[in-house]
Amino acid sequence: MPQAPPPDSPRDPGRRRVLQGLASVSGLVLAHGSLLATFSFSRAAQGRTVHAFAVVADLERCTGCRTCETACAAYNHPATIDGRTLRGLGNPRLSNMRVYGFIPEVDVPVTCALCSDAPCIEACPVPEDEHGRRALYRRPRLHTILNDTERCIGCRSCAAACAVDRGGVIEPDPATGRPTHICTLCDGEPRCALACPYDALSIMRGPVDSELHGKPPVEIAQRMMERWYSLSAPEVSP
Amino acid sequence: MSAALPGFHGVLLDVDLSTGTISRRPVPAEHSLAFLGGRGLGVRLLWDLLPQPGVDPLGPDNPLMFLPGPLSGFPVPSASRTCVVTKSPATAPVQSPHPHASTVSYSNMGGFFGPEIRFAGYDGVLVRGASPEPVVLVVDDDDVRLEPAGDLWGMGTEGLDEALAERLGDRRFRSVYIGPAGEKLCRRACILHTAARAAGRGVGAVMGAKKLKAIAVRGSQMPTVSDHAAFLRRLERARRRFEGMVGTLYRGVLRRGGTAMYLELASKRGVMAVRNYREGTFEDIDAIGYKASRENIWVRNSACYCCRLSCKKSGVVKDGPYAHVVHDGPEYETGTMFGSNLMIKDLGGVLKAIARGDDLGLDIISTGNVIGFLMEAYEKGLVDRAFLDGLDLQWGAVEPVHAMIEKIAACEGVGAIASQGVAAVSKHIGEHTASFAIHVKGMELAAHNVQANPARALCYATSNRGACHLSGDSKHHQDFVAAMDSTGVCLFAVSAGRPMPGMSCEDIAMLLEAITGEPWDEDRFMAVGERTFALERMFNAREGFTPADDSLPERFFTEPLTLGKSEGAVLDRAEFQASLAEWYAERGYDAETGRPGAEKLTALGLDALT
Repeated sequence: MPQAPPPDSPRDPGRRRVLQGLASVSGLVLAHGSLLATFSFSRAAQGRTVHAFAVVADLERCTGCRTCETACAAYNHPATIDGRTLRGLGNPRLSNMRVYGFIPEVDVPVTCALCSDAPCIEACPVPEDEHGRRALYRRPRLHTILNDTERCIGCRSCAAACAVDRGGVIEPDPATGRPTHICTLCDGEPRCALACPYDALSIMRGPVDSELHGKPPVEIAQRMMERWYSLSAPEVSP
Repeated sequence: MSAALPGFHGVLLDVDLSTGTISRRPVPAEHSLAFLGGRGLGVRLLWDLLPQPGVDPLGPDNPLMFLPGPLSGFPVPSASRTCVVTKSPATAPVQSPHPHASTVSYSNMGGFFGPEIRFAGYDGVLVRGASPEPVVLVVDDDDVRLEPAGDLWGMGTEGLDEALAERLGDRRFRSVYIGPAGEKLCRRACILHTAARAAGRGVGAVMGAKKLKAIAVRGSQMPTVSDHAAFLRRLERARRRFEGMVGTLYRGVLRRGGTAMYLELASKRGVMAVRNYREGTFEDIDAIGYKASRENIWVRNSACYCCRLSCKKSGVVKDGPYAHVVHDGPEYETGTMFGSNLMIKDLGGVLKAIARGDDLGLDIISTGNVIGFLMEAYEKGLVDRAFLDGLDLQWGAVEPVHAMIEKIAACEGVGAIASQGVAAVSKHIGEHTASFAIHVKGMELAAHNVQANPARALCYATSNRGACHLSGDSKHHQDFVAAMDSTGVCLFAVSAGRPMPGMSCEDIAMLLEAITGEPWDEDRFMAVGERTFALERMFNAREGFTPADDSLPERFFTEPLTLGKSEGAVLDRAEFQASLAEWYAERGYDAETGRPGAEKLTALGLDALT
């Protein structure tokens, strides 16, 4: 059993540190080598466009405070006040990041994994256009996933694909059926990672090759309960 | 309905369980400005809802309120609290002309429930009446319904989050609930949230009397702010209070040890509850202190909504007879009341006791206090083993304590009387045990001992919900606490008056200003606290409480500590009485009746209520 003492040494997140890809590789992505195959990443020089792939969580550090949810919502759902665009107030319901809480205490922050095999895009039935894009497509910069609202037919296939064996992050808009909650990476500076008071979130450059990355939160929670509390496959509902 | 003030929804969810009626009850703007929310708004509502004394706290007429504050629902650091306000089922005056006389109860819990109430579009939830059958109240924004809860009745709190998530099909529902103790109307029952966060001091019995097993809330809206740009600026400033050298220092302490950090410190200073408050130092403190927990139990830290401190620890007992017990804690209160106060030095045994107490939905402070009293009575031969249902309740004996916890929650055998609190047990056994029945106004003292801490003695004696360690050690501190308890923000996150970093009163006032559009400063903020405290006092006086109730157990004046750094310390009765008189004068309360004087009432805008 790996020991998992509570994180104690207070560290300032430091915006640059987050952007630079984070030094503590060993602490990343569910923390331990056993769950990690190798992955590659490189540091982005300050000031250069960051070429990013996904937000990853260190469950050893996450405390379940949900500050990330509010930061995501505030950035991705801005407010227009007297003609000025300002960050929103941070309604967690609008957030693309969602922290799932379990008893015994396990918190699993889940955001779109921007899966390299993108089952959501695979499931999109809209024919490819002249650029080879379906309605749901991979954006070259940052490799985020965008939805072309002009061509989206609101069939919810992407959400269904995400719900099977992935994080189930994509929620179809109740009215239009269009996908919501896909991670935008906040133009390369994910606000969730910047705002995390516990340094639990980071942006990964390069493919994230972890056994649990993009997995359903319940599955991750069960693994962490086994690891932390020596509980074997406790019953948890979706 | 008229437009609410910015920052407030201006409406409570009003649920009458007797009739099944669900309605929206407007909150007058002047109440929101004078009392904010939480504890302040709670006592203001209680004053109107119970205009006459003598109402049975466990009867249908006693309202039960769940109140966040005006900062709840915003990502303000540690704006995570919910205040549960009701008439206490756990306190009593020395004498009163009224039946069922008791104090106001305000119980404060962290987590995610308060913010979710605000997301659902309410400034609070008011529950009245009593249901004939067990129910769960489900609040999904405007969709509010009562569902049968027969299948949940009898369940421990440990499994309720999971059961409710399964039933409602979404983990976004945040819930509060009672365990078997609340169902049995044990007067020391809690209301729990996330299976370990608790609103204590007996409020679980009120919920149980209403046959309300749980409330589950899910919301999708945000409250509004008056000045959006100023709010964002001030929010950033508030967050920065937890960064930098000073901010990081205090933050680091709570992250490292939580409140358990104080176990070693309090024992060293001689201000810990040890051996039923006979001592202030525990010689085996290293066995149950925070260092032992870090080494042997804890695996991770948890935080409440948008909190940067994460004082909550959870873990698992790794070996010994209680191996594989998984739960939160010990923290300072639970570790002391189920540890040193009972002379228990088996850390696994302490965690097991805490786990059972929480699962059953018991107030661990009161339960540990009552068991400590019984241990002392047993040691002194004032009760025999038969009285204890055959339990050999010796100091430090783990298994008998575990058995007592089950009995108290079930109100069975010796638990039938023990569940009514230490004052009731002492009265039952005989007047000669009163000197070591450690309560004020019928409410058990918490884990802070006072022979060597006169300021805390004043706090216990004058607190409006009976003995309370958190209500403030001076008039100023009491007003600060009452104001903070009305905002929805955790006391631990605001430094005022204490040598620790965190937000200041001014930070809170500035946030209130941006949110409400009203001019707020520290003075106006502190006045909310003073007003709240005074109205609580008026409520208690109406029930028949007098200055005679602002007293302390005899032990603290007559039995000096015999151990540790504070050896020999004992409270001086004359000094204590002088500090009380000074406190009355400073508060502007009449020393004869205990009520706020006419001048003070006018100054606080409470004169219209008399």
